[in-house]
Amino acid sequence: MSRLNPFAKLPGLNTASVLLVESEEHFQQSLAEALVEETSVTVNVRLAKSFPLPIENDESRPRIDLVVFIINLTSELSFQSAEASLKYLEPGYFLGKVCFMVTNARSSSVPAERLDAVRRLAASLHCPLLFAEEQTPQGVTNAAERLLTILKAAAGFVPFTTPLYLSNLTRCTLPPDIDQPSFD
Amino acid sequence: MDSSGEDINDMVKKDDAPKGPSGQKETSTADMLRIKQQMSNQCFEMEVHLNAGKNRRSCSTSEAERDYSDHISELERVKTLRFNQTLALHRMQMWHAMEEKIKTNDPEADALRAVNQRCMALCCRIKQIQQETRLLQDEITELQKKRLEMKRLTHEKMKEMEDLMSRKEHPDTEKYKAALEKGQTNLEKYKKMSIMAQNVLRGLLLACKINWLDDPKLRHVAMTLEEFPITD
Repeated sequence: MSRLNPFAKLPGLNTASVLLVESEEHFQQSLAEALVEETSVTVNVRLAKSFPLPIENDESRPRIDLVVFIINLTSELSFQSAEASLKYLEPGYFLGKVCFMVTNARSSSVPAERLDAVRRLAASLHCPLLFAEEQTPQGVTNAAERLLTILKAAAGFVPFTTPLYLSNLTRCTLPPDIDQPSFD
Repeated sequence: MDSSGEDINDMVKKDDAPKGPSGQKETSTADMLRIKQQMSNQCFEMEVHLNAGKNRRSCSTSEAERDYSDHISELERVKTLRFNQTLALHRMQMWHAMEEKIKTNDPEADALRAVNQRCMALCCRIKQIQQETRLLQDEITELQKKRLEMKRLTHEKMKEMEDLMSRKEHPDTEKYKAALEKGQTNLEKYKKMSIMAQNVLRGLLLACKINWLDDPKLRHVAMTLEEFPITD
């Protein structure tokens, strides 16, 4: 079982590489297009459905600075696939190089426990949790912007900040009443 | 190989940055500095990772959490300290640069000097106004003190007056009560005597059948007999 290693390859000059993992492959494409609009840095976006990644691409794949798990809250499969993929990452990734992005959190068909479960997962791994709105282009742009901030820190473009330090500030925390029933 | 169905690993990339005539990407000095900083950041990260396993000790998760937050706050403290010191350094450097600039005789230095003069004038004015404010404030405090004093005095006087008024009734009534009673008893006695005399006179008039209507003096006396009630 080959795991993805954050430090196995040399970093690219003036480039940042991000891997978007989404089991539905729905939001990935538009998010990727918004991400490559960035001009100050060359952003390399790679898309994947789930782990393990195909071995034949191992050589051509650059060093991944940030792994983003996109979880669609309306499907349970999305969450399970993301959870299952976690074990294919080296532990070095969880020190600030992993981020969770959640879509469709406002949909009424989402059971509250799923969001809580995602929160618990993100909090236990000390990773940031972002909420994105994928239906409108404005939402996609906003999500891309926020992701870029984290990506820039993960790739070393922010002076005096390492991804570990940033993750301490942005990590997901559990609200103290998460075990109590919510309003609906 | 693939145990979990189709694993795609696609790539999305846009065109490279505009190339110069020699086909190389044009990088300015600032870009190079940025790239250098990026690389040093990456190296730092890798170093940290390499040294991560060295100071290992076993402890519980809660202890680790506590230590963790302690370390974070220490880190924050040091970072803010460093930031403040850098700011102070920048300030000093700026002032030095401004000094140097003013000593030369460029048009920019003239503009700088003009701004300086204006700042100084404004500062003087501010000082002046602050002094005036202070004086006015003192005056206001004095007036307030006087008003408070006045209020206090008024209050005291009112209390004294009330005291006096409540006290005055007693001594007077004490003195004259005895005399008043004596007078009352005298009055009663004389009243009884006059009533008795009047009754006797009435009896005399009736018994002797005196004609009191013709004599004006007698009539006047007989009329006054009716004033007092006839007692038994």
